[in-house]
Amino acid sequence: MKPAPFSYVRARSLDDALASLDAGGEPKILAGGQSLVPMLNMRLVRPTTLVDINGLPGLDAIEAAPDGGLAIGALVRHTDLLASPLVRERAPLLAAATAHVGHRAIRNRGTIGGSLAHADPAAELPAAVVALDATLMVAGPSGRRGIPAREFFHGPLSTALEPREILVEIVIPGPAAPAWGFAELARRAGDFAIAGAAGVLRPAPGERGRSESARLVAFGCGDTPISLAAAESLLAGALIDPALARAASEAAAAATSPADDVHASAEYRRHLVAVLTEQVVLDAAGRLRP
Amino acid sequence: MTVTVRLTVNGRVIDRAVSARRSLADFLREDLGLTGTHVGCEHGVCGACTVLVDGRTTRSCLMLAAQCDAASVTTIEGLTPSDGLSALQTAFRECGALQCGFCTPGMIVTAHELLAENPTPTREEIREALSGNLCMCTGYVNIVTAVQRAAEAPSDK
Amino acid sequence: MTWVGTAIPRKEDGRLISGRGSYLDDLSRAGLLHCAVLRSPHAHARIVSVDTRAAEALPGVLAVLTGAEAARVSGPIRPLIPTPVPIRDYCLAVDRARFAGEPVVAVAAVDRATAEDAVERIAVEYEPLDAAVDPEAAIRPGAPLLYPELATNVLWHDTFTYGDVDGAFAKADGVLSERFEIQRYASTPLETFGVIAEHDPGTDAYTFWTNDQRPGLTLAILAESLHVPQSRLRLVVPDVGGAFGNKRRPAYLLIAALLARKARRPVKWLEDRLESLAALMHAANGVMDLELAYRADGTVLALRARDITDEGKNLVSPTQHNLIKLGNIANGYRIGAIQYEAYSVLTNKCPSGANRGIGKPFMCFAVERAMTLLARRLGLDSAEVRLRNYVRAEEMPYTTPPGARYDSGDYPATLRKALARFDYDGWRAEQRRAHAEGRLLGLGIATSVEPAGTNLASYELITGRRAASGSAEAAMVRVEPDGTVRAAIGDPGSGQGYETVIAQIVADELGVTPGDVSVERGFDSTTTPWLYLSGNYSNKFSVTDVGAVLGAARKVREKLLRIAAHRLEAAVEDLELSHGQARVRGAPDKALALRELARTAYADVLGLPGGEEPGLEARHAHQNPLAEPVGPGRRVRSQLVFSNAAHVCLVEVHPRTGFVKILKHVVVHDCGRELNPAIVEGMVHGSTVHGMGAALLEEFRYDARGQLLTATFMDYLKPTTLDVPDIEVDHLEHPSPFTPLGAKGVGEGGAIPGPAAVANAVEDALAHLGVVVRSLPITPERVWRWLPRRADG
Repeated sequence: MKPAPFSYVRARSLDDALASLDAGGEPKILAGGQSLVPMLNMRLVRPTTLVDINGLPGLDAIEAAPDGGLAIGALVRHTDLLASPLVRERAPLLAAATAHVGHRAIRNRGTIGGSLAHADPAAELPAAVVALDATLMVAGPSGRRGIPAREFFHGPLSTALEPREILVEIVIPGPAAPAWGFAELARRAGDFAIAGAAGVLRPAPGERGRSESARLVAFGCGDTPISLAAAESLLAGALIDPALARAASEAAAAATSPADDVHASAEYRRHLVAVLTEQVVLDAAGRLRP
Repeated sequence: MTVTVRLTVNGRVIDRAVSARRSLADFLREDLGLTGTHVGCEHGVCGACTVLVDGRTTRSCLMLAAQCDAASVTTIEGLTPSDGLSALQTAFRECGALQCGFCTPGMIVTAHELLAENPTPTREEIREALSGNLCMCTGYVNIVTAVQRAAEAPSDK
Repeated sequence: MTWVGTAIPRKEDGRLISGRGSYLDDLSRAGLLHCAVLRSPHAHARIVSVDTRAAEALPGVLAVLTGAEAARVSGPIRPLIPTPVPIRDYCLAVDRARFAGEPVVAVAAVDRATAEDAVERIAVEYEPLDAAVDPEAAIRPGAPLLYPELATNVLWHDTFTYGDVDGAFAKADGVLSERFEIQRYASTPLETFGVIAEHDPGTDAYTFWTNDQRPGLTLAILAESLHVPQSRLRLVVPDVGGAFGNKRRPAYLLIAALLARKARRPVKWLEDRLESLAALMHAANGVMDLELAYRADGTVLALRARDITDEGKNLVSPTQHNLIKLGNIANGYRIGAIQYEAYSVLTNKCPSGANRGIGKPFMCFAVERAMTLLARRLGLDSAEVRLRNYVRAEEMPYTTPPGARYDSGDYPATLRKALARFDYDGWRAEQRRAHAEGRLLGLGIATSVEPAGTNLASYELITGRRAASGSAEAAMVRVEPDGTVRAAIGDPGSGQGYETVIAQIVADELGVTPGDVSVERGFDSTTTPWLYLSGNYSNKFSVTDVGAVLGAARKVREKLLRIAAHRLEAAVEDLELSHGQARVRGAPDKALALRELARTAYADVLGLPGGEEPGLEARHAHQNPLAEPVGPGRRVRSQLVFSNAAHVCLVEVHPRTGFVKILKHVVVHDCGRELNPAIVEGMVHGSTVHGMGAALLEEFRYDARGQLLTATFMDYLKPTTLDVPDIEVDHLEHPSPFTPLGAKGVGEGGAIPGPAAVANAVEDALAHLGVVVRSLPITPERVWRWLPRRADG
């Protein structure tokens, strides 16, 4: 399984990379390569040029933002994100999601930017950044722009990125939301999820166990991460108990229309969405503190 | 298209021109004759091709040789002492942790990373760390035991 | 103290552990070309035209081979069983493609990437045909036919009746009828299958380096198809990264040979993982209707089975699964009357093959499931119904109705030991406690016999005539001029530790250490002794191969003693071989080192006893004496020696998601004398995990058009470290009275009862719901559909 022929460019700077993307043909960005290279090997994609951005300076930092959030460079490797005390403190949901990505060797090379730009419907990080209301910073011929995460994912392997744009940074707004939950089910540990859920609760001031607002996102059950608006409304402003978590999970399942595939039927997936969102809501509620 | 790379492999500096689409695995095996790294799937699942790149486990079938400019690569050959076997290798042998041997180099490289970070892993932690390396022969029981034994051996890993 | 029976570390490990093994893809030849194969995208299609011009024009491409050319320059591949109308099956598809993935055109180029580029430039026009996918549908009139000239997809259909089956069913207190199904799966060795072929135009001779596991059979096929005598063929097997019955596809060796001849350069072909999964071989799927006639106390009087085996597009080895199921169907039980009706059916899918267990995992799944269901029906404990039906130790040797003879073993003791080791009663109590808390634990038992050594005469049951027969292997032992020892065997190992066990056997015979014995790696037809029957199959190593090694070692031993007697002027009876010397018992100073005896044998030949030939080398071919021709009533010992095992499994089923986790698994097995206990234990672990994978994870699933849906390792799921527990192993040892060292087979082991044990455990966890497990794999979704629904669906 050898790839079809391609040219290779080692980008030295962001401008370099953008220029390569603008030079005609069908270029493709090579970051971690953990999703792209298998597709190259199977000849499922045939770029004319690979633009290797692994050497780009300044895109692999994790910085604390003054609002209590984070700015994460697109080239941060999953392993480094998991090891970061800043991420553990300010975006524990993101760390939890990242821990489910593949296996260690995959995480050593794979990058957060790569995972988001690849936009596999069964991937963890797209759902996590949507649940965190992140902004994805993109660099292109006409400069930088920020795309809200919930507008970034258009379809399976399809995002708001224009062909000549590169994802450069993920901005997680503060203040950090300590009440989070993440759950997924896969046939084996490290496999793509059959279904999963990510959630964040913002505590209502002064009252324990009550959330002011909720973000709840399902993945693996549609073409993109699915924001579960109906379930979120049920949780907003409510005192969360098991019955409410159950009701939210039913609303969540009803909001998804998964496909049948070789690993699961639509019906079973929808059931798993319910089970997983219920677990996420209860886990997050358990972390709620006014 | 060919690309020039200069990288260090098992401590030796290597300068080569490689085809852009050549994988690191094929480069190690065919260009450098380091056939200890094996290819089992070429889609990043089986772990037979695992090497260390800049000190971290990496599936060499998912990396292009061209990407390895300025990188430092260590293969099973680089983890084998010039004289004898490492503690990990000795433990594998003593514990019957290999049968056909095809997954073994990848297992050893992965176990090496685990023990470097976690010198006293539990069986569960060992299983977790090796969960990305498939073995079709041993059923894994003795592999886990071997890594535990190596962890307990006097340090020369 | 003997070396045999000791758990010495393996000799192979030194090189394998440091990445210094020499597997097929590690080998190269000067001027080597690389092959890639164009494969049919259709499950069934007429090949209308093939245009290779663009491929041939690609720089770096040196030869292209089409099916039409292969049919002109080579002969068809000999089928295992003759068909009523001869079918000409070549190494490439000629006028029709008969499964998605079937090789159609092959290219040799300077490297694999270029060869794959060339493959994409080949234009093939197909006319798709309806595909036969379901085996039962493939039997019915009007089904699409793989070979219209046969007028059927049924390659073989026969019924074997032993004893008064109808009478037993008539007088039974009850009949249990069930239908079971098994999926396609495979052991998928981590190293894929491949070959390097080289042609010498000067001598018109071919050399093959390959990880093929049946060199004797393959050489015969190569000679016939290449129209060269076997004396101009050489086949070499290097280190092999696992085989499990998968590594045998002569077509690929022919493709490489024809390309090598055409390109005038050696050609390497190594299948990639996708090719291997789609096109090498699958364990046959099938459907079995099983009936047990029983008495009210749970005694089984008779068994009836109607077994449909889906062979895919398999002319090379069909009916194997059926024949082996027939030979083993009693599964250790005393069943007086057996009827077995078998269909071997062609479909438009990957060819079936001799995957670990060859049919026995399905047979055992069906029989062990039926025994457990019988227990439940009668309100008996699952273990009890088995204990009532086992052939007992005092009845050994015991011949089953189809002719299999159980040589030794204590099946009830094996099960009891497993239950005790598992703490079966303790876990039953824990199961009840857990159930009260809403947790679903389940316990499953499965036991089986494990045969070793196949008697090829049994194929007479299918073909009506005897071609190959018996079970035999050849070996060589040589003391070198410097006194070190070399051995070789016609069975190329693939991870079973042959080099170590052979060295142990030879060391005992010659009085040296295993470290003094070099065992030839793999196989080389010009130097390794071999027979048509040679190869790595049917678990035959410990029951047949060891006889060849012993025989050769003994010949050398006797010669050493004769030379020593002559030089020491002693009687042979007073001499012993030990510590690398021949010496007079009780007079250790009257001794001669092996090196010194070798000097006489090879150099100072005038010092030999009169009439003694120079040299210290012996060959021996051992024929397993248990093999006999088919007897009256169509009874035959199709397999020769029987190990047995009991598996006990504990699972937990998640009550909401249906996910199954194996928490504990105990195996107590009896393979007779354990030649190397550490190697034996490793094989039990590995084979049991194969069984777990088949039970819960692995499935080659096809759609209605014959397209493989689980075509990569992302979709075809192998067990990882997190999917299986630490398997606990204990053993009994009832040596076989009939094998040279008392050893029995151990290679298939847990692959046979493993799936049944897991299935029985899952069903037990859901017993309160009346669930019956009739098929594999047991996926989470399948379990979920058995669970009660709540308001959330």
